[in-house]
Amino acid sequence: MSLNLSAEPRAAGVAAPATVPAIETRGLRKVYGRTTVLHDLTLTVEPGEVFGFLGPNGAGKTTTVKILLGLVRATAGEARICGLPAGDLAARRRVGYLPENFRFHDWLTGAGLLEFHGRLAGLSEEERRARIPQVIRRVGLAGRGDARIRTYSKGMTQRIGLAQAIFHRPDLVLLDEPTSALDPVGRHEVRDLIRSLRDEGITVFLNSHLLSEVELVCDRVAIIDRGRVVRSGRLGELLGATSQLRVTIDRVNDDLLAALKRHAEVLAVEVIDAGIEPGGASRTLAGNGSVTVTLAVDDPEIAPLVAETVMRRGHRLHGLVPVHRSLEEVFMDLVEGGEG
Amino acid sequence: MNTLTVARFTLQEAISRRLILAGAILSLAFLGLFVLGFALIYHNSSELSGPLSDEQSRAMFGTIMSVMGLYAINFLAGFLALFLSVGAISSEIDSGALHAVLARPLRRAEFILGRWLAYAGLIGLYVGLMAGSLLLAAWLISDYAVPDPVRATLLMMLAAIVLLTVSLFGSTVLSTLANGVVVFSLFGLAWLAGIIEVIGGALSNQAMLNIGTAVSLLVPSDAIWRGASYYVLSPLYLAGVSANHEGIAIVGHSPPATAMVIWSVLYPLTLLGAAVLTFGRRDL
Repeated sequence: MSLNLSAEPRAAGVAAPATVPAIETRGLRKVYGRTTVLHDLTLTVEPGEVFGFLGPNGAGKTTTVKILLGLVRATAGEARICGLPAGDLAARRRVGYLPENFRFHDWLTGAGLLEFHGRLAGLSEEERRARIPQVIRRVGLAGRGDARIRTYSKGMTQRIGLAQAIFHRPDLVLLDEPTSALDPVGRHEVRDLIRSLRDEGITVFLNSHLLSEVELVCDRVAIIDRGRVVRSGRLGELLGATSQLRVTIDRVNDDLLAALKRHAEVLAVEVIDAGIEPGGASRTLAGNGSVTVTLAVDDPEIAPLVAETVMRRGHRLHGLVPVHRSLEEVFMDLVEGGEG
Repeated sequence: MNTLTVARFTLQEAISRRLILAGAILSLAFLGLFVLGFALIYHNSSELSGPLSDEQSRAMFGTIMSVMGLYAINFLAGFLALFLSVGAISSEIDSGALHAVLARPLRRAEFILGRWLAYAGLIGLYVGLMAGSLLLAAWLISDYAVPDPVRATLLMMLAAIVLLTVSLFGSTVLSTLANGVVVFSLFGLAWLAGIIEVIGGALSNQAMLNIGTAVSLLVPSDAIWRGASYYVLSPLYLAGVSANHEGIAIVGHSPPATAMVIWSVLYPLTLLGAAVLTFGRRDL
């Protein structure tokens, strides 16, 4: 079972003007009883990008998606899809949606589900007939389209959910946890599918807990916590702002550490091998081991300077690796560090 | 257009879930039992009818058996309406299956109307086929022709559609379980109020009559059935009732009031409008 990633021609007349944001929210607020789920949520998703929408459980991600689809009404604020008021029929024509729980009418066959959604999306009988086998093949369900959904595995159900989301060639695809039921191969395939959608100019709004997935596929992300966006930007900016250098050397002493501290903050000193000679603050290896010093740097371009500092003091440099913090580390800092 | 798509989808669901097949088998069993019972009783009617002439005997047994058979069908149609629609919206929301559907360019009103159309069609077909078959059997066995089978059947369809619409409306505001409890209670209440009204009429008790009327306005299903049953009664039976001041408690002995018929038609339309409004405003 594998995804077919060949690009499809877009339906004539459905492409959004490139200058209009695919999603735009301003001051979006949602209150349920005494609980405020969204506070002043302002967000812009540019057309053609893969946008990651991250946040812990209860942060307001699914509520935001539901407001964009008109399933939930905002208490205040404004949301637009491709320049159209979110929830309007015209806006919904341009959107494909994979719900978080991917529950579908399981008495239908996979092809039957696409037929039903294709009718609702306004595709002609001819278009539906042509596209059903194409899309089923594209999501890796070739040969299973005529089986009832109740006989599908979780992964297959998620795949048919993806199929119904992209069936009518939307301008914007909202994917709520699209890989939660898939095995590693399936996840890889879905990442490739998302990239191929981007190549076709389709905007993908990816709501996911799987940060490593987001990191691999998204152009920009927004991190939301307790109903507010706590950080948003290009993925490189978010991760690059907190990059590290990992310096592996034969030994370390106070002189070297002091010199390194002039260039960057020393985060950690880790002895990789046994055989350390006792010697106060100076740690010197007796055997073939090494010491790794981790530096926090604002600018990874200082790497040559660090190398020069190490070698000038007579140390052997085994390695110098720029290390970006993972999205997970950034996420944990933001949602637990009190910025929200 | 989308309304018809949803109606078609709902019918497909009923077929796929074997609801229609199960309903057809049970209905055939019911009709078979009715025909057998009716034939046996009719052929022994000379022992039961006493001094009645052949014509009187035929009219009495034809009336009683047709009314009892239709009464059972009325109950079955009511249950069918409730079972079909009790979770028509709420269970779809609970399961989450509705989210992907309503994310399409589909008005919620279209979804409700499509569901209603399909269920009303199924119920109408059920009542039409069952009542038609039963009255045909009664005619073939006893040569008793119901005075106005068309009006009787149409009113029975209306009674079931009233219950369907109450249940569909409830499904937009309550959970499936709560809706089931409420709608079955209303169904029972309407039936009880009908009995109270009949007893009130026999005792000339205005308070009991008022209670019956008030509940009939709240849920007119039983009042509509009584209107339908009137068109099944033979003139000979009605003459006997008029002379002896006795009759069957579950039937109406006078034609349905025009105001009640108008109310019974407006009632589901109003509730359908209310269902569209409440569902349209609901967060999913």
